[in-house]
Amino acid sequence: MGTRKKHRNVGVIGVGQTKHSSHREDVNQPEMVHEAVREALDDAGITLNDVDCIVHGNMELFEMIHQPDLWHALGTGAPGKSAFRLTTGGTTGATLFCAADNLVASGMYDVVMAIGFEKLQEGHTTGGITNMADPLWFRSLQTGALTGTCAYDVIQEFGEERAKKAAMIYRIIMDQHACLNPKAHRAFGLEFDQMDHLIRSSARLIGELKIIDMCSQSDGACAVILACEEKAKRAAQKPVWVRDHITVHREETFNILGYDQATEEEKTHKVAARELFKRNGITNPLEYFDVFEMYDPSSWWGLDWLRDFFQLEGDEHLRLVEDREISRTGKMPINPSGGVIASNPIGATALVRPAEAALQVRGNAGPHQIPRPVNHALASGFGGTMWTVLMMLEKELDWQEA
Amino acid sequence: MKEGFDTSNCFTIQGKLALPYSYFAGRVGSRFLVRIRDEKKIMGTRCNRCAKVYLPPRQTCDVCTEDIRDNWVDVANEGEVTNFTVVRYRDRHLPKDPPYILAVIRLDGADTSLVHVVEGVSPDRVRTGLRVRAVFAEQTTNTLLDIDHFEPV
Amino acid sequence: MSEKFGVKVEEIFDTMQERFRPEGAQGVDASFGYDITGRGKWRLTVKDGAMTIARAEDLGDCVVVTRADPDTFVGVNIGKVDGTEAFTTGKISVEGDMGALGKTFKLFKRFTPPKKEPTVREYILDMFGTLTARFQPQAAGDSKLVICYDIGGKDGGRWTAVIEHGTCTLSEGLASSPSLTLAMKAKDWVDLMLGRVDALTLLSTARAKLEGDMQLAMRLGELFAKYTPPGQEAVQDEELLVLKKVVSVGQKFATGPVMGKFLNGLKEKKIYANRCPVCKRLQLPPREVCAVCRVRVEEFVEVGPKGNVRLLDTAYYASPDPLTGETRETPYAMAYILLDGCKGQEAFAHFIRNDQLDRIEMGWNEKKGTIVRPVWAEERKGKVTDIRYFEIDE
Repeated sequence: MGTRKKHRNVGVIGVGQTKHSSHREDVNQPEMVHEAVREALDDAGITLNDVDCIVHGNMELFEMIHQPDLWHALGTGAPGKSAFRLTTGGTTGATLFCAADNLVASGMYDVVMAIGFEKLQEGHTTGGITNMADPLWFRSLQTGALTGTCAYDVIQEFGEERAKKAAMIYRIIMDQHACLNPKAHRAFGLEFDQMDHLIRSSARLIGELKIIDMCSQSDGACAVILACEEKAKRAAQKPVWVRDHITVHREETFNILGYDQATEEEKTHKVAARELFKRNGITNPLEYFDVFEMYDPSSWWGLDWLRDFFQLEGDEHLRLVEDREISRTGKMPINPSGGVIASNPIGATALVRPAEAALQVRGNAGPHQIPRPVNHALASGFGGTMWTVLMMLEKELDWQEA
Repeated sequence: MKEGFDTSNCFTIQGKLALPYSYFAGRVGSRFLVRIRDEKKIMGTRCNRCAKVYLPPRQTCDVCTEDIRDNWVDVANEGEVTNFTVVRYRDRHLPKDPPYILAVIRLDGADTSLVHVVEGVSPDRVRTGLRVRAVFAEQTTNTLLDIDHFEPV
Repeated sequence: MSEKFGVKVEEIFDTMQERFRPEGAQGVDASFGYDITGRGKWRLTVKDGAMTIARAEDLGDCVVVTRADPDTFVGVNIGKVDGTEAFTTGKISVEGDMGALGKTFKLFKRFTPPKKEPTVREYILDMFGTLTARFQPQAAGDSKLVICYDIGGKDGGRWTAVIEHGTCTLSEGLASSPSLTLAMKAKDWVDLMLGRVDALTLLSTARAKLEGDMQLAMRLGELFAKYTPPGQEAVQDEELLVLKKVVSVGQKFATGPVMGKFLNGLKEKKIYANRCPVCKRLQLPPREVCAVCRVRVEEFVEVGPKGNVRLLDTAYYASPDPLTGETRETPYAMAYILLDGCKGQEAFAHFIRNDQLDRIEMGWNEKKGTIVRPVWAEERKGKVTDIRYFEIDE
């Protein structure tokens, strides 16, 4: 992978989100999108006139609307501007962010607004995912987004009791974060003393993946405004700088998982982290980053991927969770927003990750703000069959060589 | 294609996608359709800043992004054809059998136009400038077809 | 003493002061008497734009006296009983200056009964008491459905609803072989029915348990009309329209020569992978290009038909197949199988026979999993379902 050189620096100047929910019959799609757009513009202290380009995305055909960006022009402000539509499955939101970053860095546009949305109540998630599968053979076999393979792997490696407990601790911490985030969809108010009860009684969906472990299905939209250095420095709030990002995809089938450790395999998260950190000179990501907004579609994956993302060994990632270091006040806060398990408006979800990370760096995220200075943030997107996008955000521009 | 490309194993698989979807009209859209359905009244929303009446009604003004969701105004049931086309093919997704006239209609009091079907005039006699009026449907479906069509005044 | 409308006579009088409209009292200077059978007498005095109301023994100084029974009096005041009709039928009698009585109509805002919350037990009894009335036969279909409600706690109870031949009957107790059982505490059931909490929250946090036909569980909202609490005016929320449509599109997919060969092979009971000339890795199903080396792959290799199971993904919840509308019976399992001739990650995905799931052992590293073999369909058409499933090779 080649090294990147940006023509100019790019900063996040505005963030907007709807309150993610499963009851938005009061708005149609463009109206919902507009709520996020309006909030982002107000956050940045600019108007639509200041935006040069709109980048729009969601899950392809999940609401059975073809090219929804055209209809959504009623809410995005796209008429009269350059506009792009991107759709890359679950990573869509992250791809929107990366694309907006590239567009501004290239020098072609000064201010770009990335907009991700999903209205799952109107759509058909299983139908959408079925549509993704190879129609020549896998469509008849696939089971949608659910799989128990990750839980199986973790249980095999660490034993049933320890694995299930760790996954549940992760889940409860995520819920506690969600309870502090006014935008989160599902916040149950779980307590640690419910752990055994939940492990025993929450209904299993597939394998050891229980309903409590699984992400929600939400309606929501997110808008993030990126600007070139010159304009970012004049914005209403201190910009959060986009340092770097990487996108790693794999083959189209799911069955390349670590259930057979004798065979060498390169998980995308490992590859993404290795390449991104190497080219940025980061040798100890656990020490370097102050927060990680990780795309965690289930508590099992969230738990498992910590090892690959932070380049840990053995059971270090389990201990991080067991010692509660991933909580908002811990050594390595994970998802102070509550993460994807709490809110998952899919097309927006991967955009909410860098958006929330940027809010944390800026220091005014809301009640779920980490109570320490946040200088270096990491955000990830996930989709399809192990596609990973990793993004790095910085408070100051001082990472660059003079 | 390469010379001698072996197509002996090429064939086609039939598929079908039939899935249930829901579309929310939203508060503004619902009010618009419910008035048409129950009161046979057509209403738009007005941006007072831009002095513009949107039909179908919008929640936000296109021009100045002002929130106009409560500025309801009456629009006449009558107006003028500003453009039209004649649909001459049959498809189960189309609202009428061919040939039928699909027109762009500017109702009196609105600043934007509505697209709808015009009946009661033959395709070779329809012209821009034709005055038409709404004919409401007997059987309603909670859609814009609760206006069944427009006919010449 | 019946309180037909859930409102006491006294409440009408006690709220007169707060409902009073001074602008309606302009030019009014008199006392009005009310004699409510079995309840007592009240005097309303209006003067200088102000009013007093009090119980009275003697209504002799009143310019007009209205007599009525409690239900009629309350009914007229809350708009449930037509005043003119009540007067015509003698349910209200008026003695004195009728014209003066007319002036009292403008004195007060209409009485609206405050919402008194029923207890959890009252809700439970009403919810199950109205269940069969709320049944929607058009949503029922042909099969017999038995739904058990196991509502826990002192306010709860146990009921079974049987839906058959377009009717629904409810009985107490739990049936022995229900299609579906719902279990949760009474308060949670009440909150669920009133829309204060949603089903997914209850299920995720294990406050509710569902056993049996999950598809039926998802249809409960169609089988029974929404519950509205008793006596409560249906709060006219703005009607929010939802257009529901089944979008149906026909599709055609060309297989190309590589997948075509694979699918045609299934017709002959053969499973084909293809081998990369550079890294020698097999791809199954075969692909035109090696995903790792990015070179064209020409060599086809027959693999299997037997293999060992590496991973079994058992599903307890089935979403309906959007292509057919059918739902697989649960539990069912998708397996990743290493067919003979394949190694490492070259696994093939397919189903395992439903009744053998608990006998499958998964392989791990060198250890081999249960050996399985494909069960072929009688009629094979060049589809991956030409293999019905894999079963244990014994």
